[in-house]
Amino acid sequence: MNHDARKKPARTQRLLVLGAVILALLAVNVAVPRRRERPQLSARTLKDLAELATVEYSVTKIVSYKDVAWYGDRKILFETAATVKAGIDLNELTDHDIQLQDGKAVTVTLPRPKILLFNMKPEHMREIFNESGILRSDFSNEEKDGLLSQGEKDIRAKVARMDILERAARNARILVESWLKKMGFATVRVAFKGGRT
Amino acid sequence: MKKLLSVLNIAALLAILLLLYNPLARIGLLPSLPALFRGGTAHIEETPVIIQQVKNIAQMFTQTYYDEYVYDTGVVRTPVFSQNKRLIFIAKGEVIAGFDLSELNEKSIIRREKSIVVKLPPARILDVVINPSGFETFIEEGEITFEESKKFHEDARRIFERNARDKGILKNSAEQGRETLEKFFRLLGFETVDIIIPESR
Repeated sequence: MNHDARKKPARTQRLLVLGAVILALLAVNVAVPRRRERPQLSARTLKDLAELATVEYSVTKIVSYKDVAWYGDRKILFETAATVKAGIDLNELTDHDIQLQDGKAVTVTLPRPKILLFNMKPEHMREIFNESGILRSDFSNEEKDGLLSQGEKDIRAKVARMDILERAARNARILVESWLKKMGFATVRVAFKGGRT
Repeated sequence: MKKLLSVLNIAALLAILLLLYNPLARIGLLPSLPALFRGGTAHIEETPVIIQQVKNIAQMFTQTYYDEYVYDTGVVRTPVFSQNKRLIFIAKGEVIAGFDLSELNEKSIIRREKSIVVKLPPARILDVVINPSGFETFIEEGEITFEESKKFHEDARRIFERNARDKGILKNSAEQGRETLEKFFRLLGFETVDIIIPESR
C-alpha cells in the first residue's frame, strides 16, 4: 500500500516532465521555419528566330499512375493532348546553299528538319479519375505536375520516333518550290543537307 | 488510474518523437511525414501516344520571348472547417511570334527582273508554351483541385502573352521577319527587296 502510494507521485512527476518536454518541443516546432529556397528567376528575354514550321501533329495520351501500398492505394488518370510543330531552321541557310543558274533555275539545299515546338496546353488536359485510400494522402498539385511532366517526356520521345520529320521535309520542299515558282523561277530543285529526306 | 497514466506516458513519448521528427523534416534532414505516406518515386504506366490530326502549316517563327514568373493565388478563403487555399508556383515558358505564311497568295509576291516586293500578313503571337515540366510548385496549402490548378496555369499563360506584348515582341518579330526574308531574297539574286508588313494590333 505504502509502496503504491510512493509510486503514484513519481508517475505523475514523470508525466509532468514529459508534458514540459512536449511544450518545449512545440515551441521549437513553431520556431523552426520550413526550408524553402527562394526561386531563382532569370531575366525576361527576347530572342530572334528564323524558323519555318511546315507540319503540326496533334496527339493525345492517357497518363495513368497507380501507387499500391499495404496501407492503401492511390490511383490517378489524366487525359492529355499536345501539339508538336516541326520544320527547318532558316538560320542554318548559307550562301553556298542557294545556287542560281542563269536567273531562271535555282537549287536550294535546305537544313534538315527538326522539332521546333512542343506545346501541352492546360485547357486540353483532364483529370478523369483520382482516388486515395483513407490512410493515404491525396495527390498534391506538385505530384500531379510531376506525373504530367513524365507524360510530356514520353510524348516527346514517341513523337520523335514518328514520321513527323519526313512530313516536315516533304512540306518544306513543296512550300519552297511553290514560292520560288511564284517568284518566276522556271526550274526549282530543293535538296536537304546531308542527303535525302 | 494506473492504466491511464501508462497510456498517457506512451502518448507523451509518441508526441515527443513526432515533435523531434518534425523540425528535422522542416530543415530538410528527414523526409516530410506526408512524403513518407506517399511512397517512393512515381512512375507512370506505359500508354500509347495517339495521333489525332496532322496539319500542313507554313508558319515562320521570328521571335521568342522567354519568361519565368512567380504566380501567387493569394489566400483563397474557404467555408468554415476547411483549410484556406494558397498556391504559389513558378512558371517557365516561351511565347513565339511570327507570320502565318499560308495567308500569302499570288498577289503577295510581285517580281520585276532583279527587284521583288513581298506583302506579308501582320506579325502575330503564334504560340504560348508552358509545358507541365515548366511548372514548379513552391507553396501549396489546402486542397487545390486539378480544375482550379488548370485555371491558374491558363492565367499564367495569359500573363506570359501580355508580358511578351509589353516587351514589344510583335514589333521585333516584324523586324526580324523582314531581315530574314531580305537575306533570303538577296541570296536568290534579287538586288532590290521590299518587304511590306502591316502593323500588328
